[in-house]
Amino acid sequence: MIGLKGTLNVIDNSGALLVECVNVLKNKVNNGWGSVGDEIVCVVKRARAISAAQQASATAVKVRRGDVRRAVIVRTAKAVRRPDGRLVKFDDNAAVLLNNKREMLGTRIGGVVSADLRMKGWGKIVSLAPKVV
Amino acid sequence: MLTARLRALARSMSTATTSAASYPFSKAAILPTPPPAPPSLESLRKGKGLMPYLQTALPPSQKQQWLATLFSKRHPDRLVPGSVLTVTTAHAPNSFSGVLLSIRRRGPDTSFVLRNVIQRIGVEMQFFVNSPHLKDIKIVKRAGSGGGKAGRRTRRAKLFYLRNSPEKMTAIAGGIKA
Repeated sequence: MIGLKGTLNVIDNSGALLVECVNVLKNKVNNGWGSVGDEIVCVVKRARAISAAQQASATAVKVRRGDVRRAVIVRTAKAVRRPDGRLVKFDDNAAVLLNNKREMLGTRIGGVVSADLRMKGWGKIVSLAPKVV
Repeated sequence: MLTARLRALARSMSTATTSAASYPFSKAAILPTPPPAPPSLESLRKGKGLMPYLQTALPPSQKQQWLATLFSKRHPDRLVPGSVLTVTTAHAPNSFSGVLLSIRRRGPDTSFVLRNVIQRIGVEMQFFVNSPHLKDIKIVKRAGSGGGKAGRRTRRAKLFYLRNSPEKMTAIAGGIKA
């Protein structure tokens, strides 16, 4: 259940570390909740320092603090129900940054992701993840 | 002669019925009372005796056996919170191992929660015993085995305090290659 002001860890190598949710895109209202597999609009609260090589390059994606980006939720602390009745929950909330065309900004994912992503159509993220539960 | 008299006395005092199910190999055998007949369909439709009937009728036989042994409150082979289990399911992830945190006993709706730490992130999964997707439960380590502090049973039925203490989690489940 990620809504306005919900914080998520970023588990790809785009450079962001912590993002705060601003809007959940599946709902037409501002006060909705997002779960695993939902796209959100978020503000980058903490980011890794951009290396000199990245600064110089024109094509590298530079994620800075204060950027407004899109992301997809990959782990929630709130339990999510599977079709056979199982409930899965993680210890934290996590997301992977996206661009406006629903493509990943980073190239690698570090950490567990939820298998519910596959059902919502994020097969690319599931294939990149080291462990899917 | 005396023992035969005593046996006849015991036979007359016993409340077991031998009429319906008789043991073909001995006349002196005492058989337990047969289980009560299931309530009639009309009384079930009105709701009389419905829940006890569902407890025995809904789960398939293997799951009923699980409910009677692994998930009972007093069976010697029951699951104790703090055990490490591996669960095999029909859907992904096909197998999940973890420390048993809690058993929620609700008859056909019985479920249990396993906690594992995967790549430094804690993951908890709640499995329902009667789900047809739950194929197998294997006990990797029973709670209370091992000597010293680990050998004593946990003093709680629900081990939710393990969510906040990774040291106790590693004490229970560290070093297990499941």
